[in-house]
Amino acid sequence: MYKPQKKSLSVLASMPSFLKNTAVGKQALWLMALLSLVVTPAWAEKPVLRVLAWPGYAEAEVVKSFEQKNGVRVELTVITSDVVLWQRISERNTDYDVFAVNVAELQRYIAVNLVQSLNVELLPNTQRQLARFRDLAAIPGLVHEGKVYAIPFTYAEMGLIYDRKQIAAPPATIAALWDPRYRGKVVVYDGGTHNFSLAAQRLGLQSPFRIGTADWQRAAQQLIALRRNVLGFYLQPEESVRLFMDHHAALMFANYGMQQVHLLKAAGADIGYAIPQEGALAWLDCWTITRSARDPALAHAWIDYLLDEEGSRLLTERQGLSSTRYEQADRRPHDLLLWLQPQEDTARREKLWGRIRSGDQLSRVMAP
Amino acid sequence: MKLTIAWRLALVLMLVGLLGTGLTGYFAYQTSREQLVKASEDRLLTATRVLMRQVIVALKDIAADVSLVAQHPQAARILQHTNSGFQALSEDNVSIIFERLMTVHPEYFQIRLIEAANYGRERIRVDRGLSGLLRIKGDDLQEKGHYNYVFDTLPLASGAVYVSRATINHEVGAHAGVGKPSLQVAAPIHDLNGKAVGVVVINVDLQGLFAQLASDLPPELKLYLTNGNGDFLIHPDSARSFAFDRGQSALVQDEFPAASSLLQGSQPRHDNVVIQSKHTTGAADALVAAFVFQPLSGLEAEDEFILGLSQPLASVLADSNQHAADIMRIVLSLSVLAIFLAIILARYLTQPLRDLVAEVRRFSTDGTIGASPGVRADEIGELARSIEHMEVQIHNQFEVLQNQKVKLEHLANHDSLTGLPNRRLLLERLEQALERAKRNKTEVALLFIDLNRFKSINDTYGHKAGDAVLLEVAQRLHKLLRASDTAARIGGDEFLILIEGNCEAAAMDSIVSKVQAVLALSIPHQDIELRCGGSIGVARYPQDGATAATLIAVADQSMYQSKARRDD
Repeated sequence: MYKPQKKSLSVLASMPSFLKNTAVGKQALWLMALLSLVVTPAWAEKPVLRVLAWPGYAEAEVVKSFEQKNGVRVELTVITSDVVLWQRISERNTDYDVFAVNVAELQRYIAVNLVQSLNVELLPNTQRQLARFRDLAAIPGLVHEGKVYAIPFTYAEMGLIYDRKQIAAPPATIAALWDPRYRGKVVVYDGGTHNFSLAAQRLGLQSPFRIGTADWQRAAQQLIALRRNVLGFYLQPEESVRLFMDHHAALMFANYGMQQVHLLKAAGADIGYAIPQEGALAWLDCWTITRSARDPALAHAWIDYLLDEEGSRLLTERQGLSSTRYEQADRRPHDLLLWLQPQEDTARREKLWGRIRSGDQLSRVMAP
Repeated sequence: MKLTIAWRLALVLMLVGLLGTGLTGYFAYQTSREQLVKASEDRLLTATRVLMRQVIVALKDIAADVSLVAQHPQAARILQHTNSGFQALSEDNVSIIFERLMTVHPEYFQIRLIEAANYGRERIRVDRGLSGLLRIKGDDLQEKGHYNYVFDTLPLASGAVYVSRATINHEVGAHAGVGKPSLQVAAPIHDLNGKAVGVVVINVDLQGLFAQLASDLPPELKLYLTNGNGDFLIHPDSARSFAFDRGQSALVQDEFPAASSLLQGSQPRHDNVVIQSKHTTGAADALVAAFVFQPLSGLEAEDEFILGLSQPLASVLADSNQHAADIMRIVLSLSVLAIFLAIILARYLTQPLRDLVAEVRRFSTDGTIGASPGVRADEIGELARSIEHMEVQIHNQFEVLQNQKVKLEHLANHDSLTGLPNRRLLLERLEQALERAKRNKTEVALLFIDLNRFKSINDTYGHKAGDAVLLEVAQRLHKLLRASDTAARIGGDEFLILIEGNCEAAAMDSIVSKVQAVLALSIPHQDIELRCGGSIGVARYPQDGATAATLIAVADQSMYQSKARRDD
């Protein structure tokens, strides 16, 4: 349990009890507290923990109870894009103590020494995580040279959503997306990075994140074939729901995972959700501590607190995000999740995908 | 300055006047301001509605262009895959139509004829390039079957026109249209069997279209366009347009909360709303904005449009400020007038009061009652009459007092029974006579008279008889004497006579004899004759003494001697 290092805070606690127990005394305390904000912040200032998190990761009551428990103030900044997160941490590292990032992104932070290794002993709640998240070494990217750099917090996998009326059995393989039986009834995400990973899975490449020089053309070919088999592509979850419902699609690659499942079910769709045998691409968000964190012990306390029961429960209840402590109801323990990793060449994937998406033929797609 | 009633009244009247004009001015300003704002809100709403109608007309024009090509027999024939030479010729002809249309319509980015077969391959495509129109051919033609404008248009009935959502065009190779806000307007091509064999698509430059439509608007009006979800498609701040395309959110309902009633799914859904917004950075950029929603009826639109115009509140209020200045001038001149009127009125009203004051002053100095204040029926008339009444009463009471004073003075100096001067008055006159005699070297004589049998008359016949005797004696003495002489009763039956002038012994003897004769006469009282007689003593100045007391004492002495002689 975290203990504040600064003693200055005990000033209020050590006030004469009459001050705390009488109405006038309470008003006086308020007044002093107010004054202290204006006049002498030095003695009244609480330690501040500066957190960068994604929407829904730190519910207000969790933040509040953490503040009360530790006698600190949390300065929460919500980020919504990897690009912004990278800018903040790389350019203003000293402004933040702890942040959430997915494993694939984490690698470049480690590479340029923007984060520090964690002391797992300060994180007792990690012992209560699901087995697949306890074995940190088994998740590529968390452990470097024997040091743990991040703790899994939440994840989402990109499974296949299928219409139970049109597809009786859950699709077993990713190849279903190319199945001519579903031509014009397949909905796929409009993103080069993930789609090339899909193509790599379809081709049976060793890693969906590593397309070898010789495999680019084959992968592009696969994606052209996919393009010819789909109804259309989507960017936003709402857009995918519209496409799926309005055009009676049979199968969808769920880039947003359970979020789309919830939206479709809310829209009245009779759907199933399957993890293909090749494994589902999955992003895994972890908490990590910046290199220049002011108070690493407090940052550890924060991470451990969010892995506590309340934090994990609210994550699932409020946000529909998967907790690393409790198994999702419709997920099987043997489902294979492929944690997103840095790709060999994201820019090339996006560039080629832009052409494929626009309807170019293979020769045009592969043109320099 | 003394705060007279006139001044106070003037001040009160001024204040009332100023308050009246000020309040009237203020409310006139408020009312006119509200009316001006309302009027300009109405104008703004009308302008927005007109613009919305123009948008719909423009979209329908585009739809007519698309339909024209899609329903042209040549379009279906191209897609029949018959004679390739004939097809090439047909494609050339149609592409010329496309080029013509794009020349006439600078807001068209691209016109395409796309076949349903071959995964929606483009067959004829004319793009707007940087330096002119481009006919795209061969391998540059792309497969578009997975785009909404193809798979949503193909199932449409002949004659129906599809309008896509407004998006940023990310299609690689679309030339001028790449990265630009676009709208796809498409119509299906049917073959002779009614089967959909392709679509004709016009890519519309959204900004160009709206720039044209809004070109007539005054520059202070700013244009907003959102989709049915509220995402800004056109916003004065271009960073807020198509924020969703950059993974951000910029919604009309966040900037103008009242506009949320226009959005898809709002219950009830309004078709227009006028908003006065205090903008985020303060009153300086406060706006009046009108938003209008109108369904794109007759078109197979994927989305809806909400159109808005805003005008800075400051420009709306410019007229009202002019108005305020006018009202201010009127208020000021009326206020000056009110001040003058107040002074004049106060003076007029207080004039009778001043008259009354003058009248009361005059009365208090000379005690006379002045002219009547007239016949005024008001409070001042009443006051004047009351004062007059009071003056009359004061005057009367003053006269009574005066009379009483005279009486009291007489009582103080005269004997109440006989009316003769008493000892006090006699002494006074004696002193004065002695003064005069000393100055003029004349003589003064004093006769002391005592009634001889007064006591026995009193005892025998009662006090009334005694009084009658005293009265008769007094009258007889009074008659006997000259006006310049004084007879006074100085005690019970004692009288003094003061004589000035000739006081020689002979003259004195004569007077004494006359007095004695008068006193000897009987006095009738209730059928009886009373006889009392009297003893007389004389003292003369300067022979017998120089002071009143000495003369009285000498006269008294002389009287006793004479009484003693008679008794002998």
